[in-house]
Formats: sequence, C-alpha cells, structure tokens
Amino acid sequence: MSSTRPLSETPSPEKTELPMSSAQPSPAEQPASGAAESNPIRDAIGEAIEQHKVILFMKGTPEAPACGFSARTVAVLQAMEVPFAAVDVLPDPRIRGELSAISSWPTIPQLFANGELIGGCDIVTEMYESGELAEALQ
Amino acid sequence: MPRPDEIKQRIEASIPGARADVEDYSGGGDHFRATVTAAAFQGLSRIEQHRLVYAVFGDEIGGPIHALSLKTKTPEKTPIT
Repeated sequence: MSSTRPLSETPSPEKTELPMSSAQPSPAEQPASGAAESNPIRDAIGEAIEQHKVILFMKGTPEAPACGFSARTVAVLQAMEVPFAAVDVLPDPRIRGELSAISSWPTIPQLFANGELIGGCDIVTEMYESGELAEALQ
Repeated sequence: MPRPDEIKQRIEASIPGARADVEDYSGGGDHFRATVTAAAFQGLSRIEQHRLVYAVFGDEIGGPIHALSLKTKTPEKTPIT
C-alpha cells in the first residue's frame, strides 16, 4: 500500500474493473454445499456492489454510454452530483448474466446503493422526478 | 417479432386483474413502453412490481424484446413507494 498514489481522490465517475482473471478462489474457500460451484465473476460483482456506496452497471461508460437507457441513468446521477462507480457490462456477456442472477433484474442499467438494487432507468428516473432518489442514495 | 397488443395480452393474462397499455416506441418491434395497473401490485415495492411484469417474459427480455420500459400503478392510488 506504500506505492505512489495520486493525492487527489478519483473524480466521479470512477471506473471499476471487475478482477475477472485474478479472482480464483482456492478449493478451501469454496462453499461446502455441493450445488454451489466456484463463480469468480459473480463473486467479483458481489464485492463491487458491497464496496461501492453507489454503483451503476451499464452499457458503455459514463463518458460514452452505449445505450440510451444507460445514458439517461448516468445523466440523472450526474445531475444529482452523486459520486458513483460504473461497470461496463459489454466487454464480457457473463457479467450481465451473473449480475441478473444476483439481482433478479433482467435489464441494464442497474443502479445499486448501499448494497441494494435501486432499479433500472425507469425506476431511477421516476424516483428522481419524485425526489425519492436523493434519499435512496444517502 | 412481438407486437404491442401481444405484449399487452400476455401481461393481462399473467397478472390477475392487470390492465396494460403498451406502445412500440421505436416502431421496430423490440422497444416497448408499458403502463401496467394491477391490484396485485398493492404492498409491493416498485422493484417487485417491475419484476412481476418482467417475469411474464422471462428470457425474452434482452432477447426479442430488447427493452420494456415500465410504469406500474395500483388501481386507485397512483404514488407507489
């Protein structure tokens, strides 16, 4: 942890890379239950959701959204000046599959705050317009 | 390729007492917008309400139905928490 780091904090939006290749649980870490298989991508997604207060899974990046729904959701967060982490689901289709398995939510984008799914573009927009979103992102 | 009236019928058939208004807002047969009113939504969070509607279509969401934009309501009161 002593290596050189910039003094300033990363400005939002912060880009989060899932450690896809490095996450390899040792056999000892695997759950005892027979049905559960080791799933590094799912684990990495779960960790990212836990570690970031506000995290958006989207198509593309906040700077270059690849879908109108993702773009609108980013615009809402930026309008609220809420710092958020963003994960692009497009580079690997498994990210989207595992994310939807975790969240029981079929579409992208998906916004999480404090470890909970807030919703996709429709819900985020509706909550923004009603004023509920600010509270949910506290 | 699904049509708006097909989407509407499937929602209304799967969620008891639901009323759905569906439009194809891209005109391309894969981007739909639905407003669904159902007593079954009572007491559910928005997330749970939307999940009920998405569940009607399963894997078709993200497949043949590229996008299904939703607004859910309960019959009498509009605001839902």
